[in-house]
Amino acid sequence: MNHNRLARRALGAYTIVFYIALYGPMLVLALLSFNDSDITGLPFKGWTFRWYATAFSSRALMEALVNSFGVGVLAALAGTMLALLLALAFRRQIRFQGLIFNLVLLPVIIPGIVGGIVLLIFFGYLGIPPGLYTTVLLAHINWVLPFAFLTLYPRVHAFDRALEEAAMDLGARPLQVMRRVVLPVLAPALLATVMFSFTLSFDEFVRTLFVTGFDATVPIAFWNLVVLQLAPFLPAMAMIITVISIAASLLGFVFTRNSRAADPSHRIA
Amino acid sequence: MAEPTTARSWTAWLLAAPAIAYLTAFTLIPVGLLLTVSFWKSGIYGTTPDFNFGNYVRALAVPLYRDQLIKTIRIALTTTAISFLISYPAALYISGLKGRLKSMLVVLLFLPFWTSFVVRTFLWLPILGRTGLINQSLIWLGLIDQPLEFLLYNEGAVLVGLVYVFTLFMTLPIYLSLDKIDPALHEAANDLGAPPLQAFWRVTLPLSRPGIVSGSIMVFLMSIGSYVTPQLLGGPSGNMYGNVIASQFLANNNWAFGGALSVILIVVVLVGLMITRRWIGTREIFLGGGA
Repeated sequence: MNHNRLARRALGAYTIVFYIALYGPMLVLALLSFNDSDITGLPFKGWTFRWYATAFSSRALMEALVNSFGVGVLAALAGTMLALLLALAFRRQIRFQGLIFNLVLLPVIIPGIVGGIVLLIFFGYLGIPPGLYTTVLLAHINWVLPFAFLTLYPRVHAFDRALEEAAMDLGARPLQVMRRVVLPVLAPALLATVMFSFTLSFDEFVRTLFVTGFDATVPIAFWNLVVLQLAPFLPAMAMIITVISIAASLLGFVFTRNSRAADPSHRIA
Repeated sequence: MAEPTTARSWTAWLLAAPAIAYLTAFTLIPVGLLLTVSFWKSGIYGTTPDFNFGNYVRALAVPLYRDQLIKTIRIALTTTAISFLISYPAALYISGLKGRLKSMLVVLLFLPFWTSFVVRTFLWLPILGRTGLINQSLIWLGLIDQPLEFLLYNEGAVLVGLVYVFTLFMTLPIYLSLDKIDPALHEAANDLGAPPLQAFWRVTLPLSRPGIVSGSIMVFLMSIGSYVTPQLLGGPSGNMYGNVIASQFLANNNWAFGGALSVILIVVVLVGLMITRRWIGTREIFLGGGA
């Protein structure tokens, strides 16, 4: 018994270290974003907001934010829509269901770098020049779709069909049932899926890198600055990006709590 | 199963059609094209149709590329192993908790998923770099006079970066499968006189296997296709396969050879999935932590 207690204590101490390792680096970054020094790093020379001012006055970041919001919203809506229709179709056992399921998982199984490469080749041979609302948007919908499906599918599957049957018995037509019964019940799950899909698109990098044109998304713009030099405003910019992602996800999480639908464990970088 | 008579099979197909069409157009066909191009020939005048195995022979026979593949698989496996070792004890502890503390710790496991991958890789530069946290702290403590150079731009830095961004893909599924174990099983093992360690080996560990396998596949899958982490933290010695592939397209303009390298990476992933298939189906990996 005593042994058990001791083991539990040791595990607890270890878990504290685990969380420090997880969040410590993020906190260091937050600290550095306020460091009044022209060198990215230590020593800490006092508090300042000037790096945030620099970041917010960066045209590259502002344009990228607008681009990422535009693509993120459209990709989230389109991806969720396609995923919802497929999830509804899967309520019946249809032929080749296993095969279709594998097709849905394909964008996730393909290694990230290859996911970007195949689209580079594909758009290249089709003669479609890289552009924000063409190649990047198409790539993002493709990336978001599997995750939107994986979050919606269990929820749609668990949908109580008795509700639908009751509505039909009362004389409702299929489309009416969909609009009046199915969609309202699924609404929180759909909202959560849209939010999670948005962050997925907002943070997507490697698939975007190979199909992007002149209009950069936020991670691409950030990357372009990072590979250029370790500029002192980068931690502040990183914090801004992080806060936006977390805010969007927390909103999604609030919806999830009402629906238990979206499981962010399906997130892939 | 009682199906409503109005829901005919063609309605289901109609509903499924847009997603199937989309994925066919933007995943299946592009992958098919990649496979085709990998047998073509790239020269100074561009990539021309052909059918030869030259790209594959070059990729697998030339030591530079072969070693790079082996090294990349090694890095991915190491990342997976480290992630497992550091995740399991934490997942075990959290699953044994109750109430608010538990839900708070679980939310904290989810939170990093929602932050930019590029940012979480970038943050190692001001930590491991010359003016970074570690070097400056060591100098301040008087332990060193000059910043240590070996903290960054090598394989070790890549491992640190990969483990940092991917560990939670291991922690979460393990936690989920541990959390599902009926506490009565532990009591039963206890009552039957099993020492705690034995109870762990014989009951807890085997029952958490779905989570372990599922997490391992995720971490392996993501680290083997890495590009960002080695590019930012790896330097020449920390290069991975992803960087070699990228340079075929971004610098050398050798699509045919780059295509072959990409196909090889896909095959490695598929082999990995096939090996783990006896424990867990591909579908289950992605539907809720191997539940």
